Amino acid sequence: MTETRLRDAMPTAIGTPPDAVAPILQVQNLHTHFFTGEGIVHAVDGASFAVHPGKTLGIVGESGCGKSVAAKSILQIVDKPGRIVDGEILYTYTDKSGRYRHENILSLPSDSRQMKSIRGGEISMIFQEPMSSFSPIHSVGNQLTETIRLHTDMDQRTAREAAIEWLSRVGIPNPARRVEEYPYQMSGGQCQRAMIAMALSTNPRILIADEPTTALDVTTQAQILNLLQRLQAEQGMAMIFITHDLGVIAEVADEVAVMYLGRVVERAPVQEIFRNPQHPYTRALLTSIPSIEAQPRQRLPTISGSIPHPQNRPPGCPFHPRCPEYMAGTCEQKEPQLASVGTNHEVSCFLYPGC
Amino acid sequence: MQENVVLQVNNLKKYFPVESGFLKRQVGEVRAVDDVSFAIAQGETVSLVGESGCGKTTTSRCVIRAIQPTGGEILYRTEAGKVVDLAKLSMNEIRPLRRGFQMVFQDPFSSLNPRMTIFDIVSEPLRVNNIGSRAEREDRVAELLKLVGLRGEYMQRFPHAFSGGQRQRIGIARALAASPRLIVADEPVSALDVSVQAQVLNLMMDLQDELGLTYLFVSHDLSVVNQISNRVIVMYVGRVAEIGPPQALFKDPKHPYTAALITSLPKPDPFNRSDRQIPEGEVANPANPPSGCYFHPRCPFAIDRCRQETPALEEIAPGRAVSCHRARELQLFEQVEG
Repeated sequence: MTETRLRDAMPTAIGTPPDAVAPILQVQNLHTHFFTGEGIVHAVDGASFAVHPGKTLGIVGESGCGKSVAAKSILQIVDKPGRIVDGEILYTYTDKSGRYRHENILSLPSDSRQMKSIRGGEISMIFQEPMSSFSPIHSVGNQLTETIRLHTDMDQRTAREAAIEWLSRVGIPNPARRVEEYPYQMSGGQCQRAMIAMALSTNPRILIADEPTTALDVTTQAQILNLLQRLQAEQGMAMIFITHDLGVIAEVADEVAVMYLGRVVERAPVQEIFRNPQHPYTRALLTSIPSIEAQPRQRLPTISGSIPHPQNRPPGCPFHPRCPEYMAGTCEQKEPQLASVGTNHEVSCFLYPGC
Repeated sequence: MQENVVLQVNNLKKYFPVESGFLKRQVGEVRAVDDVSFAIAQGETVSLVGESGCGKTTTSRCVIRAIQPTGGEILYRTEAGKVVDLAKLSMNEIRPLRRGFQMVFQDPFSSLNPRMTIFDIVSEPLRVNNIGSRAEREDRVAELLKLVGLRGEYMQRFPHAFSGGQRQRIGIARALAASPRLIVADEPVSALDVSVQAQVLNLMMDLQDELGLTYLFVSHDLSVVNQISNRVIVMYVGRVAEIGPPQALFKDPKHPYTAALITSLPKPDPFNRSDRQIPEGEVANPANPPSGCYFHPRCPFAIDRCRQETPALEEIAPGRAVSCHRARELQLFEQVEG
């Protein structure tokens, strides 16, 4: 599908309430490419995943797997020279008149009023580097107030009170005083708390958290993870949690999508991923995490080779050059598709029929 | 100093001045490292672990004399068997000794000069120490690249042609070029992906066995530290909280901070999501640390004594030392029989 055809696509359903298990957001066959001087980088190359109301989808993968670009594609904030070239992002929501809508939000122009109200309002996002995600020259309070005013019809004073209220909800002591502070006056953990306050202040239905604890110390990370889980339960929102850390996935995710070189290679509930991983990449990833319970000074099992540069993407299954189960004549010839291997469990690997 | 000890650090201190105003008057100091002591035996890996600001990197940089310590001794046994105090030597006196202790850095992207070939990078320690002719250096670089799992032909290429894991191997080859005894590795795998991290850790352990290297390993990651260490030093705000072998330390921590670090770690086990007891608050500010034990404002076991008295590092069992007033009475983790 080309971009112009995407723009013409219309809402697919109006007025029918979704059933309880229907996903709130469904990403289908997403392709986001970067058109660089040296060639096209297929950062996201046919990724599909779904987010259910009130649940957490964990997207896990190593650097260059496209997890962040996929998340930014949802909000249409992919940096240049990146462009969403294909795919659908179906979002189920209630409009102002109370009707259920089921719409491909990729068809909305990035600067349309509707997309602007979704971005930061219905779906908000927090980032890895809280310090650089805030503007350094405006106080945290002003930035929070501005966000709240942008998405609600509160006046300046009420919005400021709401901002203070939010800072206190995310566990920042002395919120009435801290609201005047600038990002540089806060520690990394405090800044991430303020970022979370800003993202949640508009009561989003989906929060996208892109490696929100990677830059933090372990004790701070544990505090932030607890905070996010508590607020998720209070607000009843869905979350897309992006991380490279399988330990964090095990703590927060309900469903997991494992990505490799722009594609989802396995999708399953979190317990299934850890107990019964099917894709050779998922299995290898799970055995190569060091543990504090392991016998010291033992060699770890490894995945051979390294992640190819996205411009030198291997043909066929992108994992085949590193795969211990590589089948010559199949894996480098065709691209496997996601196929069901059990309840809610999908894998894209030729080891399984239907791929 | 015992016969087999390569490095012994005694009461190491590094204070950074805090200056203010036009005249740069000193208005305070940051006690980045405050009275740290440890020893590393030949062939051993000792790790410094802790959160940001705990002084682990500053300690390692003092050891290789990248910075001048404020006080304390850094006793180093040279290849000839002589013991020298690196803290007291001048830069000119240290230069000939530098061959013996080399560094591996965290970021494999910024630690290799993009305008130098791999040959130039790896052979630099040989060149500055005037070791060998050009042809001999080429042979040595080929040998080193093979040792770290790269092909010898790669030496004509530039760093941009390599992945993060390969670059870290090049960094290790450079550190090994002058046949050092001691390698100081500051977060060598933190910038790498998990699948590559395990490869580099395995490589470091293999090289250690093969060449009899001694490692001072700095990391914030307890699991990585568990993998590679013989002994672990947990630091908090410039001081040593606890020392011990990794498994003893992680299964039966004696310092509440060590226990807090372990419970904070996300466990890769979705079947056991526990309601864990996470320490509140944040790491203390080393420019304005709390009184007594630096951990007391966050410690669930703090008593009055902890607020007033700084605990000393005390040996509680062979190879285990803790600086906590209540180390002997507290049982922090449930112990499994057998």
